[in-house]
Amino acid sequence: MSSTPPRLFVPLLLLLIMVQPSSVHGFLGFGKNKDATDSLTEGSLPVLFIGAFSGSSGNSAKAALVTELQRSRAFSVITSAPEADQSAPVPFTVSGESVGGRVTASLRDTNAKRLFERTYAAPGLDENLRALADDLIYAVTGKPGLATSRIVFVSDHSGTKQIYLCDADGSTIHQVTRHRHGAVSPSLSSDASLLAFTSYRSGFPTVTLMDLGGGMERVVTDTPGNNFGAAFNPDGQHLAMVMSFLGNPEIFVTDLSTNAAGCLTESIGVPCSPSWSPTGQYLVFSSNEGSGQQLYVADLGSEKSTKTTERWNAGFRFATDPAWSPDGDTIAFTARTRASWLVATKGYPSGPTRIIQRGAKHPSWSPDGRYLIYVQDGDLYRHDVQSDARRRLITDFGDISEPRWNN
Amino acid sequence: MRHLLPLLSRCLLAAALSLSLSACQVVSLLTGDQTSVVYALASAENFPSPLNRKLTPACPALSFSGDSFTTIGRHQPRLRVLARSLSQQPQRLLVVGYTSPNLPQDYARSLSERRAQGVRQTLVEMGVEASQIQTIGLGNDFAPSAPSSNVVVIYLVDAAPTSATTPPPVAPADTPPTL
Repeated sequence: MSSTPPRLFVPLLLLLIMVQPSSVHGFLGFGKNKDATDSLTEGSLPVLFIGAFSGSSGNSAKAALVTELQRSRAFSVITSAPEADQSAPVPFTVSGESVGGRVTASLRDTNAKRLFERTYAAPGLDENLRALADDLIYAVTGKPGLATSRIVFVSDHSGTKQIYLCDADGSTIHQVTRHRHGAVSPSLSSDASLLAFTSYRSGFPTVTLMDLGGGMERVVTDTPGNNFGAAFNPDGQHLAMVMSFLGNPEIFVTDLSTNAAGCLTESIGVPCSPSWSPTGQYLVFSSNEGSGQQLYVADLGSEKSTKTTERWNAGFRFATDPAWSPDGDTIAFTARTRASWLVATKGYPSGPTRIIQRGAKHPSWSPDGRYLIYVQDGDLYRHDVQSDARRRLITDFGDISEPRWNN
Repeated sequence: MRHLLPLLSRCLLAAALSLSLSACQVVSLLTGDQTSVVYALASAENFPSPLNRKLTPACPALSFSGDSFTTIGRHQPRLRVLARSLSQQPQRLLVVGYTSPNLPQDYARSLSERRAQGVRQTLVEMGVEASQIQTIGLGNDFAPSAPSSNVVVIYLVDAAPTSATTPPPVAPADTPPTL
């Protein structure tokens, strides 16, 4: 008997999906954030000197920027001018001005060379400083910051399952949907500007797209049967999702500009939870094709009319909810053992399996790959995968499920 | 020695081709009765949803245990009686799947839909018109007011409608719940 995993060659099927009129929905913020502590794990962080910020709101801007950057743990932040000490590391320097909430800032490297100068003119000072903080982190470390990232999740806090949005630390919770019968299965585009989800508004599940900037909605697909599990590809132009109008649940990839969809699987099992690799070449999903609920990886890179799908051994008899890490090296997933549910990770294409947290489900990566979020006992947690420190971000907010971080 | 080279290279090529083909072996996962024709769903237009309206169950709910999703022997008599009655008086059906609440939500949606599609497929093979049956897998997003949430409920769509604001009652499942 061969140990080679089963391979499928599946014809690509094209079809058109109906588009329905859009409607407008707004936001309403409320919520409760529980503070907790998780340990600092900085190694040799780059040093950033936050210099003077002139202007009428300069002092407020500098204080808020210090707080934001200290929270990010991307820098060793200093606020007073470094002494001319040859042994001390030369810091990066940021300075600027702020008038009426508008912020202009420039960053200089350790050789005093200017790396960027930008103006941030969003309506609020906090919003501008979060954008500046993420730009500083990206310019120095090459990794995305979390200050402007968003977490989306489902909660029955209002009585029905609805979708909520919050900041990276679980604060500033907004209710995004107020759909009759509820909304579930949310996913954010990588820039957190678009939300895809399944709405039960009509009484039947429809995959719906919402522009989080303006609140505009449009139905992506309302085919008969089920429509759920939407996941944006890295450029936000395609959605992978599950549809069942062919008579079986199958994984489809839909082009959002044309609404043409291609069927990726020919399943006899329970396909669900598609997740893209960071390059968009691969799609990992879960299904039961005769050997239990396992993870499968589809290669979408070739231009051929057939796509290959192979089973990927996650190391558990039951694995679902896969989430590809931003660096592409690891897949996190929910697994089931005899004793409990758990969240685990495994290196891709091969590597050791690591149990992150027992009793937890539905992992999702932070944009910088440093954290996993997951739910446990209806609460939302953030877990540092390097230090194993974890922090409860949201509690006492109904039964939270299906968290997703934009990445 | 020189005349052996083409022969050797041909042998190597054949071996490489053979290895390559064995690595790319197409493995059919469809076996036995899974090779039967699968009928796509017709338009769901004018089908009511159990979320909007109280619907009448056509028969006691069909219970499933664990992660199973195929119809089994104890489901057959119930489905056969239903198929026979529909042959005498055709009616549209809505087959709705539910799972236990502790499953991961996306998996639960797919599992419940797979169960509903399996029941639909069995009814079609018993002679019920495929276009008259719709399915939804509600997973654990909603629960029927039944003794078990791990069930498939078959609703008669054309029975006298009544308004509903709460989940519809369903006839008891044929076995105790196995959560």
